[in-house]
Amino acid sequence: MSAPCRVLIAALGGEGGGVLASWIADAAIADGFAAQRTSVPGVAQRTGGTTYYIEIVKAGGRRPVMALAPAPGGVELFIASELLEAARVLHGGFITADRTFVISPLHRVYTIQEKIAMGDGRADADALAQSLKTFAKDHALGDFAALAQKTGAALNAVLLGLAARHMPVAPQAFRDAIARDGRAVEANLRGFDAGLAYAGEPPAAAPAPVAPAEIPHNFAAAVEAMPAVSQTIVREGVRRTIDFQSLAYAQLYLDRLAPFTGRAGPELFTELARHLAVRMTSEDTVRVAQLKLRESRLAQARAEARARPGDIVHVTEYLKPGPEEILSILPAKTARALLAFVERRGWSKGSIALKVQTTRISGFLMLKFLASLKFMRPGSLRAAEENAWIRRWLALIDLALAKDQRAAMEIVETARLVKGYGDTWKNGQANWARIADEIIEPMLAAPAAPAHFADAVMQARIAALADPEGARLASVIASLGALKAA
Amino acid sequence: MVEVSFRREIESLTLGAGAVFQGEGILAVTKALLQSGVSYVGGYQGAPVGHLLDVLVEATGEMRRLGVHVETCTNEAAAAAMLGASINYPIRGAVTWKSIVGTNVAADALSNLASPGVKGGALIIVGEDYGEGAAVIQERTHAFALKSSLWLLDPRPDLPTIVRMVEKGFELSEASNTPVMLELRIRACHVFGSFEAKDNIAAAHSVNSRIEAPAPFEYMRLSHPPVTFIQENDKFQRRLPAAQKFILEHGLNETLGPASHDLGIIVQGGLFNALNSRLEAAELSNAFGDANIPVLILNVTHPLAPEQISGFCAGRKAVLIVEEGQPDFLEQAIGQILRKAGLPTKLFGKDVLPMAGEYTPRVLGAGLAKFLRDNGQPAAPLESWLAATGAQAQALAAALPAPLPPRPPGLCTGCPERPVFSAMKILRKEIGPTHVSADIGCHSFGTFAPFDQGNSILGYGMSLASAAAVANSQARKPISIMGDGGFWHNGLLTGVAGSVLNRNDGVLIIMNNGYSSATGAQDIPSSAPTPDGRGRGVDIEKTLKGMGVEFISRVRTYDIRKVAKTLKDALNAPAKGLRVIIADGECQLARQRRIKPENAKAVARGERVVRTRFRVDPEVCTGDHSCIRLSGCPSLTVKPNEDPLRTDPVAHVNNDCVGCGVCGEVSHAAQLCPSFARIDIVQNPSAFDRFRNRLAGIAIKRFGGKLIDEARA
Repeated sequence: MSAPCRVLIAALGGEGGGVLASWIADAAIADGFAAQRTSVPGVAQRTGGTTYYIEIVKAGGRRPVMALAPAPGGVELFIASELLEAARVLHGGFITADRTFVISPLHRVYTIQEKIAMGDGRADADALAQSLKTFAKDHALGDFAALAQKTGAALNAVLLGLAARHMPVAPQAFRDAIARDGRAVEANLRGFDAGLAYAGEPPAAAPAPVAPAEIPHNFAAAVEAMPAVSQTIVREGVRRTIDFQSLAYAQLYLDRLAPFTGRAGPELFTELARHLAVRMTSEDTVRVAQLKLRESRLAQARAEARARPGDIVHVTEYLKPGPEEILSILPAKTARALLAFVERRGWSKGSIALKVQTTRISGFLMLKFLASLKFMRPGSLRAAEENAWIRRWLALIDLALAKDQRAAMEIVETARLVKGYGDTWKNGQANWARIADEIIEPMLAAPAAPAHFADAVMQARIAALADPEGARLASVIASLGALKAA
Repeated sequence: MVEVSFRREIESLTLGAGAVFQGEGILAVTKALLQSGVSYVGGYQGAPVGHLLDVLVEATGEMRRLGVHVETCTNEAAAAAMLGASINYPIRGAVTWKSIVGTNVAADALSNLASPGVKGGALIIVGEDYGEGAAVIQERTHAFALKSSLWLLDPRPDLPTIVRMVEKGFELSEASNTPVMLELRIRACHVFGSFEAKDNIAAAHSVNSRIEAPAPFEYMRLSHPPVTFIQENDKFQRRLPAAQKFILEHGLNETLGPASHDLGIIVQGGLFNALNSRLEAAELSNAFGDANIPVLILNVTHPLAPEQISGFCAGRKAVLIVEEGQPDFLEQAIGQILRKAGLPTKLFGKDVLPMAGEYTPRVLGAGLAKFLRDNGQPAAPLESWLAATGAQAQALAAALPAPLPPRPPGLCTGCPERPVFSAMKILRKEIGPTHVSADIGCHSFGTFAPFDQGNSILGYGMSLASAAAVANSQARKPISIMGDGGFWHNGLLTGVAGSVLNRNDGVLIIMNNGYSSATGAQDIPSSAPTPDGRGRGVDIEKTLKGMGVEFISRVRTYDIRKVAKTLKDALNAPAKGLRVIIADGECQLARQRRIKPENAKAVARGERVVRTRFRVDPEVCTGDHSCIRLSGCPSLTVKPNEDPLRTDPVAHVNNDCVGCGVCGEVSHAAQLCPSFARIDIVQNPSAFDRFRNRLAGIAIKRFGGKLIDEARA
C-alpha cells in the first residue's frame, strides 16, 4: 500500500468547499484509489468557517479503515479558500513543516468582527501569509481569486488545478470529475488548467509612482518650503481644499500648516497635513452634493454593478438630512436661532428621507442646487463649528510640541475620532472633546508634562474607537484620573 | 422545495443487487431502509440527518413503486408517535431526527412506544449532533435508550457496516419486540463511501397492499395501567435477554486483534476509525485495522451482553473504554459486569480520557498513550507524536500571538430576518434595552455580532413560553422571536395557546420566511403550495385569530422604519395581552434559487429585466462602519481606502449583493450617512427606456452634467 495522501480543505459555508472535496474524492476513486471524504458543515453552511477532510490511499483491493477527522501532523495537502481560514487551520496544528503543502489564496473575506470596528479592525494579512509560509513544508500562495475571475471559473476549480500537482491522482481524472459533475464544465476546466499551469506569482511590479496632484503655480513655493516627505500629502491637501471651496481656502490650509514647518518632525508634519486636509474638507451637505455630481461616478457604478454595454443604469441616492444638516449651511446666527426653535418644538430627531435619482433631470438639479450653496459656506454654522474645532486642535498640538513630541503626535492622531455623519459625527466630536478637556488640557497645564502623556492620549483614542457607546473611553478616563489621584 | 437537489441520489436509491452504491452515510442508511422492506418513513429535518427525509420526499417515483408512505412530520413527537403503527401491525417503519434535541421532543411518545413494544421492526435514526459542527446542547442519546429500554446501535463509520446495522436493526427490533435507535455522528452522516447494493424490497403491507382489518382489541398493546406494570417486567424478563441473544448470535459487535494480550480496548463503534488512526500512530495497527492489541467494537452500545464483555476482559490486566461524552454509561455498566463476574481486570476510561468533549485525535492519542504507559506497554511513537504536536502549538502561539477573529455562521446576504434585528437595534437605542427571548432557527444568529440580542434560548418554538414569567415579573414587556418553522413545530401550542390562556403581556415576532430555512428550506404547513412541494399555504394570521389573538400586525421586513414603528406600537399598546407581529419576507436563499435562473432565461430571451444592487460611494464614506454595525450583511464589507488622505477602510458592497436594500434602509432609518446608492440595471431596455434616458442625458448636459450614453457604455 502506498503512503496515504490526506487532504484538508477549509472554506466558508456556501462557497462550495463540498464540491471541491467531491471532485477530489471522485477523481481518486475513478483513478483506482480508495478515497473517503467527510465534512461537518451543519449551520456553518450559513457563511461560517468549516472544513472538509479526504483520505486517499492505494489499497490494493482491501478495504481500508479511514479516519473521519484530520490529525495534527497527519495532513499532506491543505487547501483553503480564504487566507484567514488557512491561518485558523494552521492554529489547529494541522499544518506541519515535515509534510504539509499549503495552497491558499491571498484575498480576504472579512469577518463581522473585523468589519464592525470603528476604525481599521482588519487582521494583518501579511502576518497571516507569513505564518503559513513559516510553518508549511512548502506552499502556493497567490491571488487565485483573480485567476478564477480571469478564466470565468469558480475559485474551487483553480484550487483543484493547483492541488492536482500534489496528489497521486492523474490530472485527467480531475478533468473527468469536473465533467461528470456537470456544473459550468467549460469554465471550470479552464480554471483547473490555469491552476495546474500556475507557476508562481509574477514578480511584483514596482508600484507606479503616484503622480503628485496638480496645483496652481503660485502655491508651489509654499509647498516646497515644507518637509520633502510631506509634500505629496500637502499637494493633495491643496488640491482638495481648492476643489472643496476656493484658492483662498487652500491658502488658509497652507497658512495653518506653515507655523509647524521646522518645529515638527517630518512624520508628525505629514500626519498633521493629512488630517488637516480631511478636517478642512469635511462632508457637509454641500460637499456630499459635490461628490455625488462627479462625472466619474456613473462609470464607477456601472463597473461595480457589472453592467453590460447597452444596459441602462439608474442611480438612486439615499439621503436623509436632519435639521442640523439642512440648517447648518445658513449663517451661524440664523442657524443657531432656527435650531433652538426646532429643539423647542421637539423636531430635532426629524429628518427628510430622500431617494434622489441622479440619472434623472429632477434629481440632478436638486444636487446641483445643493452644490451651488457653496458660496454660503464660509459664514455657515457648520464652518464656524469646524473652524473652532480645527483651531483648538492646532493650538493643543502647538502647545504639546513645546513639551513632548510624542504626545503632540498622539494629539494629531486624535483627529481620526471626528468623522462620519449625524450621530456618528456628534459622538466623535463629544469623545474628542472629553479627551481634550479631561486628558490633554490638564496634562498640558501641568508644570512638567507627565511621563505618560503620550500613552494616555493614545489609550484614550483607542478606547474611543472600541465601542460606539463610549463605555471603554469612560473607563480609560476614570483609570487615568485614578492614576493622577494616586 | 429543499435547498439541495437530489436527482443523482434518487437514482442511487433504486440500485439493484450487485450494483455499487456510492454516496453519503445518511443516504446509505436511506437505501438500507428500502432494502429492509420498510412500509413507512417519517421524521423532522435537521442536520446531520435531514437529507434522509429530503431525498425520500423527492423520490416520489420509487416510493410509489415500493408503496412506502413518507410523512413530513411537524415535529419529532409526531414522528415518534407514528412508530405506533408497528405496535399492532407487523410492518416496518423508520423515523429520523436530530438528537439530542429531537429525542427530547419525542420523549413522551418514545416512552409510550417502548412500554408495549413493537411487532413490526421500528427504527429511529438519530444524528448525534456532538462535537465540532454541532449546533445543540452537548448531551447523549444513550440516556434515552437506558431509561426507556430502547436498543442503541452505534455502527462503526463504514458504509457496509452501517447498512448491515440498519438491516439487522429491524431484525433485532422484531426479535426482541423493542424499538431500536441507530445513532450516527456528524462526520459519519456526511462520510462518502460505497457498498454493494441489494434489491429494494416492497413490504408485504404498504400503501400498495393495505391491511384488510384493524388489529383486534388487545389491552397489552396499550401503555396504560394495569398493563404498564406487566410491560415493565417484560422489558427485562423477556425482551432484554432476547436482544442479547440476537446480538451475540448475529455477531453485531466485532472483535479484532490477538486473543492473548495483557490489555484490551472496548470502543463505541462510531469511534473505531478515530481509535484505529491513533493505534496506527502508536504502531499498534495499520490502515486496514489489523490491530496488534485486542479491540472489542460495540456496534450495539445498549444493551451489552455481559458474557461478551466478561469474555473479552477475562485474563487481561487492564481494559480501556473509549466512550465519548458524559455521563460514562458504558464504563459504569462494564464496571458492574466485571465486578459481578469477579474479574480483577483494571478498568480505564474517563480517568485517562476526558469526561466531556469530543474525542479528537489529540485527545484520544493522549488518553491512549497514558493507558499504554500506565500498563507497561511502550507508547514511544505516540508520545513523540504528542510531543511534536505540542511543540508546534507552542511555536504557533509565539509566532501569531493575537487571537484570530472568529467566523461564526450568520444570516445570509439579503436575508429577510436581518432587517428585523436592525430595527430592534435601532429601537433599543431609542427606547432602551428589552428582554429578548430567542429561539432556534436562522434567527438565532441574531445573538451574534453585530446584533448581540437574545437573553435566553430554551428550545425550538419555545421563545414565547420561555418569556411567560419574564413578562409577569418585569416592568417592560419582553420580545419573543420565533420562526415560522418553530411556530408550527411547537410554538403554536406551547407559546401562543399558553400566552392566550394566561393573558400574558408580551410581543411575539414571527419570522415568516416560508420554509424551515435553517435546516435546508423544507416545506412547512404555511409554505406556499407548489406542484412539487409539500406546502399547504396555511395562513398563520388566520390561525392566530382562530386561537383568539387580538393584536396582530403584519409588516414587510425590508421596510426597517415600519418594522421599528410596528414593534414600538406593539410594545406601547395599552390593552393587555399578547401582541403578535408577523414579519413577512421570503427566505432569500430560496428566492434566489427560484428567480436567478428565471431572470437569466428572460435576459437571454431578450426580455426587459431590471437587476438591482446597492453600492457605497467610497468618497462619501468616512470609514466609521456604523452601517455594518446595524446590518451585518455578508455582501456589505470593507475595502482599502483609495483616498491618499485617509487610512481607515471604507464600506463596500461586493458582487454577492442581491439588492434587498437593507443597507440603504438602515442608513435611512438610523440616519447614518449619504453614502448608499441603489443601482438599477435595466437589461434589454425598451425603446421607451432608451428614449427617456436620452432625454435625461440631453437635459443634464444642458446643466453642465453628463450621463453616459448607454449605447456606447
